[in-house]
Amino acid sequence: MHDYDVIVIGGGPAGLAAALAANENGARVLVVEREERLGGMLKQCIHDGFGLRRFGERLAGPEYVERFMDKIAQSDIEAACNTFVTRAEKTDSGFAVTLVSREGLRTVAAKSLVLATGCRERSAKQVFIHGTRPAGVFTAGTAQHFTNRLGVMPTKKCVILGSGDIGLIMARRLTLEGAEVLGVYEINPTPSGLTRNIYQCLTDYNIPLHLSHTVTRVFGKDRLEAVEVCAVDENYKPIQESAERIECDALIVSVGLIPENELAQSLGVELDKHTGGPVCDAQLMTKVPGIFSCGNALHVNDLVDFVSESGEEAGRNAAAWCGKAQRRVDINIGGEFLYLVPQQIDLESDNSKTVVYFRSKKVLDKSVLRLKIDGEEVWKKTYPFLRPPEMQQLTLDMTKYDINENSDVRFEIEVVK
Amino acid sequence: MNIKSLNRKLNKKFAGRVTARLSDGCIVLTGELDDWNDVVDAGMTAATPHSSTHVVNDIVFTAAPEEKMHVPALSDKALEGDRPDVLIIGGGISGCSVARELARYKLNVLLIDKEADLALGASGRNDGEVHPGVDLSKGSLKHKYIRRANHMYEDLCRELDVPFKRTGQYACFTHKSWLPFVSLYAKWRRDHDGIEDTCIVMGDEIRKKEPKISADVAFALSNPSSGSVSPYNLVIAYAENAVQNGARVSLNTAVTGMDVSDGEIKAVYTNRGTIYPREVINCAGVYSDVVAQMAQDRFFSIHPRRGTNSILDKKTGASFHGIASIVMSQSPVQTHTKGGGILHTVHDNLLIGPDAVETPERENTATDAESIARVFTKQRITMPTLTEKDIITYFTGVRAPTYEEDFIIEPGRKTKNIYHVAGIQSPGLTTAPAVAQDVAEYVAKLFNAEKKADFDPVRKAPPHLAEMNDAERAELIRQNPDYGVIVCRCEEVSRGEILDALRSPVCVPTLDGVKKRVRPGMGRCQGGFCSPLVTKIIAEYLGVPLTEVMKSSDRSPIVFGSKKGGSDNA
Repeated sequence: MHDYDVIVIGGGPAGLAAALAANENGARVLVVEREERLGGMLKQCIHDGFGLRRFGERLAGPEYVERFMDKIAQSDIEAACNTFVTRAEKTDSGFAVTLVSREGLRTVAAKSLVLATGCRERSAKQVFIHGTRPAGVFTAGTAQHFTNRLGVMPTKKCVILGSGDIGLIMARRLTLEGAEVLGVYEINPTPSGLTRNIYQCLTDYNIPLHLSHTVTRVFGKDRLEAVEVCAVDENYKPIQESAERIECDALIVSVGLIPENELAQSLGVELDKHTGGPVCDAQLMTKVPGIFSCGNALHVNDLVDFVSESGEEAGRNAAAWCGKAQRRVDINIGGEFLYLVPQQIDLESDNSKTVVYFRSKKVLDKSVLRLKIDGEEVWKKTYPFLRPPEMQQLTLDMTKYDINENSDVRFEIEVVK
Repeated sequence: MNIKSLNRKLNKKFAGRVTARLSDGCIVLTGELDDWNDVVDAGMTAATPHSSTHVVNDIVFTAAPEEKMHVPALSDKALEGDRPDVLIIGGGISGCSVARELARYKLNVLLIDKEADLALGASGRNDGEVHPGVDLSKGSLKHKYIRRANHMYEDLCRELDVPFKRTGQYACFTHKSWLPFVSLYAKWRRDHDGIEDTCIVMGDEIRKKEPKISADVAFALSNPSSGSVSPYNLVIAYAENAVQNGARVSLNTAVTGMDVSDGEIKAVYTNRGTIYPREVINCAGVYSDVVAQMAQDRFFSIHPRRGTNSILDKKTGASFHGIASIVMSQSPVQTHTKGGGILHTVHDNLLIGPDAVETPERENTATDAESIARVFTKQRITMPTLTEKDIITYFTGVRAPTYEEDFIIEPGRKTKNIYHVAGIQSPGLTTAPAVAQDVAEYVAKLFNAEKKADFDPVRKAPPHLAEMNDAERAELIRQNPDYGVIVCRCEEVSRGEILDALRSPVCVPTLDGVKKRVRPGMGRCQGGFCSPLVTKIIAEYLGVPLTEVMKSSDRSPIVFGSKKGGSDNA
């Protein structure tokens, strides 16, 4: 007898949606959250715009997640906060998860696991920023934690590297709090964040966006004193002649998110090198039977609404999981894809409402997305444009097509000439 | 080489811009040059390896203004009128090991360092290898100490509760044709130089244990006595044990000058008041020649040499378990360098580096992309799977060599009450335990100091719960529930461990201070998640607002005032 049917690891928007969905499907659920409170990163996302798709409202992050927390509170879901998973192991009948908390250590067993572990930010060192090691180099999320949760200013005058959404949001947030944001520098020729955030966070506040530029160096022994910015060539190599020194007290980096899957890897879960998340089928089960993945641990989403959606999918299927045999087929991709999820489908499962998420590798003009089975086009959709920051989501009835274990199932993007 | 022929040589090289003269038993170089490599080259030209006649390089480098010493903002009178028996200048491995060995005696010992923490110079910014000494020539001080010190490490690290692993080292060769020569070399090192563990291992044998080593490696010179230690943890442990036994440590304390008369240091001026020591020990690393100058006892010059190391994600730790380097020169024996390699750290990361670049700046620890690219290109010869993508962080240290490239461990030549532990570069971390014993013995004799009956050589590190078994861990959490609250998820560090670090004998309540002691922020996210949490714990512990918590020095605030709306936390 297991302690729980489903253990959800991570109490952010994905984990909470997963827990509720599993619970609604009759499962006894434990949610494990390492922080003091549920809510994940949304606790510090006090700007609005969350939930437009799901609730038709523009909610602040904490408001969005409270809707789930309220439901959790009314359910019999057990939520363990301030609790850290120190290891998880496969057992004969499921999984054993060892938890650390103020109460000590305990190992709990469950039939299935949902990994809703979110993502972490790429650090300044991981994008090879050189120079000294002063105070004042923050990831956008760290700066946001200081500003929104601890109520202190990480900077008075800063440069932001990377036009990822958190960086854009922080440009506006810091400006509103009286800091001077000298500019946002983006190494790519196109913005990394959502178009709406470029307008609402930069344009509206006269914050310049420098595309094809990067920060190459930081200066200052104690607190950061200046940064060096450079234009880059088409191979992203800094053009030294263009180097410019900008006096400021902080560098805030928003240079990408990395799905957190170290726990998944310790359980033998195979990752997709395109997403950084587990290879999953349409039910969001990884290649290790009984382990499901969702939210930003599965792939980095642009909107929290999709995070919740994948959480629900994973939670529902984790509750229903009974260990039946699978017949999986790979979903292949061709053309300018950054990635596509799911990477597989299981022919024994119900794929009548297969939710597909994808991003293009670069900005594309009018393009056609095609689904081909064994080389034959069975479905297509035209997009006026595709941009990597804007994730695409669609629902397909995969049961309509004749797919067997040996089928070549393939999505292709083609730009319309 | 006599001065005449030296001057002829310098003349030829530098067209009359540099001259040498003998003064007080030193070779003093003067002149002006605008290329730092020439300044160093002049010094090297004048120097005889391991000689006690040192080069004092007074050539003016005209291309850049002289670097200003990094000093704390602090200014008070905390040490005014302090009269220690022994004042140790410098809180690196030399200073802290000497402090601990001196703490065995009934002496008043004060150690000062200008930085906000210990081991912020070369001692904390190196690869942490415990060297076998395979490349050291007989007759040097480095060679004199290396074997004795190397053998001390197990007991020492047990006493001081510092992680140490004797991993063994491979100096790899790709040309099988060199095997006969290198075999002879190994025998010579073993029999003649006393590096008794030197042996030859063939490539296939290495790959049986370390499958990621390149198939191009034909054989290696191997020294099983090589090891790996956490260099800053060792320095901190030494200092803590010294303090436990009565020594004092004062950080953020910079020497600004000395009063010297009748060949004796009468007073040492600092930003925290004037100190009147009986004996001064100069362990000032890259500034050791400057301290010697203040003491009117300069007979050597330091030429700073930078080296950059990269730390890889722990995921790579399983791919290699020891220490490996590649020998690339045409002549297999003479230019074998121990530096620069792949090392499995005591914390199970891989460390790659360092390189060696001469620099006029004693404290320029800035990194650059070229150093890392160079090191990776070289080390991929040994391990082709190495990739810069796995780097989580990198750092630069500045070594403090003399032009003779040997240690200076001796009393002042003109000033009576100073003892120099200078020119300490690799393998200075390895040799420190033995050097410190000798220095302490010398000083103790000087003062006829008696040994303390109650000296306790054992120091306990804060527990690291993630490494314990479940039962031990549960028991500690039962005693202190803060051990169950994980603050740093990458390295699995609890609130309790962070508070332990803050309560340790040498409290350094900064983000970096806590990070070095118990590792929050050392993992793959590099403090992205935990740095606000750790900042808050420090602020609460000190009872100060968040704005007063520093990253490292007392000029390095992490956050500024509260945001517009205000908050209870600011």
